[in-house]
Amino acid sequence: MKKEEIFRRMLKSKFFIIGFIMVSVIIVISIIAPYIIVHDPQKTMLKLRLVAPEYFSKGWMGHIFGTDPLGQDVLTRLLIGSRVSLLIALVGVTIPCIIGTALGVIAGYYGGVVDSIVMRFNDIQLSIPAMVLAITVMAIFGNSVPNLMMVLIIVGWVNYTRVVRGIVMSIRDGEFVQASRALGASNLRIMLTQILPYITAPLIILMSQQVGIVILTEANMSFLGMGVPLPAPSWGSMIASGREYITIAPWTVIAPGFALMLTVLGFNFLGDGIRDVLDPRSKD
Amino acid sequence: MVQDNRQPVIEVRNLKKHFIIKGKGILHAVDDISFSVMPGETVGLVGESGCGKSTVGNVIMRLLPSTDGKVLFKGKDIFESRGSESMEYRKKMQIIFQDPYSSINPNKTIRSILSEPYIIHKLGKGKELNEKIEKLAEMVGLENYIMDKYPHELDGGKRQLVGIARALSLSPEFIVCDEPVSSLDVSIQATIINLLMDLQKKMNLGFLFVSHDLSVVRHISNRVAVMYLGKIVEMADTDTIFANTLHPYTIALLSAVPKIDLDKKPQRIILKGDVPSPMNIGEGCRFAPRCWMAQDICKIKTPELVEVEPTHFVACHFNQDSRKSAEGILKK
Amino acid sequence: MTPLLEINNLFVEYKTGRATSQALNGINLTIEKGEALGLVGETGAGKTTIARSILNLLPKGVGHINGGEIHFKGKSILDMKEKELMSLRGNKISMIFQNPLTSLNPVFTVGEQIIMVLRKHKKINKKQAILEAEKLLEMVGIAKYRLSDYPHQFSGGMRQRVGIAAALACDPELLIADEPTTALDVTIQAQILELMKDLQRKRSSSLLMITHSLGIISEICQKVAVIYAGVIVEYGTVREVFENPQHWYTKGLLNAIPKLEGPRERLASIPGNVANAQQLPTGCKFHLRCEHCTEKCKTHDPELIKLNDDHYVACCEVEERINGTR
Repeated sequence: MKKEEIFRRMLKSKFFIIGFIMVSVIIVISIIAPYIIVHDPQKTMLKLRLVAPEYFSKGWMGHIFGTDPLGQDVLTRLLIGSRVSLLIALVGVTIPCIIGTALGVIAGYYGGVVDSIVMRFNDIQLSIPAMVLAITVMAIFGNSVPNLMMVLIIVGWVNYTRVVRGIVMSIRDGEFVQASRALGASNLRIMLTQILPYITAPLIILMSQQVGIVILTEANMSFLGMGVPLPAPSWGSMIASGREYITIAPWTVIAPGFALMLTVLGFNFLGDGIRDVLDPRSKD
Repeated sequence: MVQDNRQPVIEVRNLKKHFIIKGKGILHAVDDISFSVMPGETVGLVGESGCGKSTVGNVIMRLLPSTDGKVLFKGKDIFESRGSESMEYRKKMQIIFQDPYSSINPNKTIRSILSEPYIIHKLGKGKELNEKIEKLAEMVGLENYIMDKYPHELDGGKRQLVGIARALSLSPEFIVCDEPVSSLDVSIQATIINLLMDLQKKMNLGFLFVSHDLSVVRHISNRVAVMYLGKIVEMADTDTIFANTLHPYTIALLSAVPKIDLDKKPQRIILKGDVPSPMNIGEGCRFAPRCWMAQDICKIKTPELVEVEPTHFVACHFNQDSRKSAEGILKK
Repeated sequence: MTPLLEINNLFVEYKTGRATSQALNGINLTIEKGEALGLVGETGAGKTTIARSILNLLPKGVGHINGGEIHFKGKSILDMKEKELMSLRGNKISMIFQNPLTSLNPVFTVGEQIIMVLRKHKKINKKQAILEAEKLLEMVGIAKYRLSDYPHQFSGGMRQRVGIAAALACDPELLIADEPTTALDVTIQAQILELMKDLQRKRSSSLLMITHSLGIISEICQKVAVIYAGVIVEYGTVREVFENPQHWYTKGLLNAIPKLEGPRERLASIPGNVANAQQLPTGCKFHLRCEHCTEKCKTHDPELIKLNDDHYVACCEVEERINGTR
């Protein structure tokens, strides 16, 4: 599609506009977070534990959203935690996408034995629940961000393989692919120059839909203690630590919960919006 | 036809292509086909769906592997070629497809589509490449403004011109035209047919023109081969095959074409039954089940393709009686 | 005598979010009782739009009738309420579509689909309907035991026969056939054409045959209308129009077709591009491609003028020639 057409559709899709604004805000916040925080996210001040949200009563210097059980400022941890969530989302989407796409293209293009092997791995991977894998990995290798990313990658690539494989299979016998072969193009060249452009749009849509899922997965794992290890701030672990105090200090749970919700919602809207823009079938 | 001492640009010898369909058996798509194409001339390959004509084109172009038989380009076996020799044949033998909507990648600009052949064979880049593709576009009558457009912005006729330009880009000597005008409107068909014939003359191209449209085939071909269920049932010079049609299938096929004939009501042979599929075919003439003159021998013995007059080949046990018999049963 | 179908000055446009297409630009057409009229034109000329308009089945929200009238047996179709239209469709006016694969519902047997049509319009019980359906299948040359088969069990040609049977189930007065044989092999096409000719002979119904093939029209129709860019440019008996074409587009079409007999001359192609319905030229819609274009053609939209009882043409150049000699 031409650029003008893409712009026109972007402006027409409410999902896209809302999602884009929300995600942009979140990204900008996560980038400038270290420069705007007033408190140290990991400095524990037990004297100040579970202080109720002061909002703006003490200006910017106060604990706007209160403090958590260890006296750490909630808002500060929220802001820094956004960096964690987004970074893990980035890695947890792009790398599985690359791996899954490569395997999907190879399986779909060559078919036969290659396809069977790849799809069997795919099915085996799919049948292992993410949490079980996470627990196993963490138990063996310990709890760390790199290990978390590894789990997300292992679990995530299968989301792309089957979709990509399906699309590749539908076009691999198409006439324009045959025409390339007739011109003498090698298989690799065909995969890169003919097939990849075809799957770009569906992939982008898929990726944007996966972001929300990955963020929530990380939050779940951190909540269960298998994700980002303390004392580093992560929305999931913030909810975990605040859980016991939910009756007396609900802000410790509500704040990160809300942050998660808005982020995932924003990415979901953006994902739907991108689908509106790129999916040729949603023409008016 | 005068004895031709030139070497054919393409010679197909006993070509076979079978597909094994799981659970159903063997599909004899192409079964022992032989013919030659001379430089600068067109062989028309006609038939209905399932006859194998498109498969012949695809196998010659090595888009499908053959089951048996040879294809010679100027005397050399192309199936045996490897490496750079194989790439040379890619340049010399090209194909134009039927569907202008699916034969060019919808995600690429015309410029990108036309550049691809040169890039694959490392024949130019940058400014030099642009000049080459502009010349190419000119050759087929396309204006430069289309270069930066996407296929969906062009109509069917222009898209087909892009496909033709692409096929010509590497200066081939032989082109398989697989129903190149079947999807196009009549007025555009004429433009494309004229263009192909002009290019053929200019570049001395050999064409294998695959089509189900007999009028178009008659117009453009020097020789015509009629296929039925994987076999050639009749082959001759164009004028001969239309004037002295001998195989009952060809007779029926010709009579079936709707014609503008205002004076006499067209006479037609109506074949019974459907066009069958070439699955698990046994012995005997493949056309027998639908043939009005079929005798017992037809069901048992497969007729050979014999030369009944110079350069006119027919595969029918009763080819001498077919015309008379046809007149007898012509439907008013 | 009132013609069976009369279309007067019909204007139809398609509006999508992006653009507006002027699909029909003042169509004038009549079909008499018992007559077979061929409507010939190329892609995008408006043939299918006319068919849909007659049944008032333009895509909702996208297709708009902007002017003109359609009268069936004297009654205006465009004024009819949906209920009245539904009793017309499949009953008095029937349609056969191009693609027999998609025009039959794959989840119902062929028998069920024919019976559905029968029972909707005729007051008969199921047993009678089954008998009727069997008779219809036989009429189109299909064994009656196949009533219980599904569409995918039939070949393309057989499916089209089923389509014909369903269309003729209620003995329509007007049968609209939209490229019924285009998707079929040549020998199967011949079977279907012979069947249609046969049925035409036996019944007194009218036929609107929409096709791009002049050969088919010559065989099966008495009258022909040539359509270009939503306008009827020439109309008359098949003999008149094909032997003595007057409009330059008709002449172009006839010369562009390769022949099966006679000398093989270079095909005459029509210069330029098919008219873009989103950006129609002023004046005569064909003038940009016409080698005989005069000044008047560029601004004046010609109307159909009568050359004789059997021949009408819409062309400024022809008009000027005639007026010049008068």
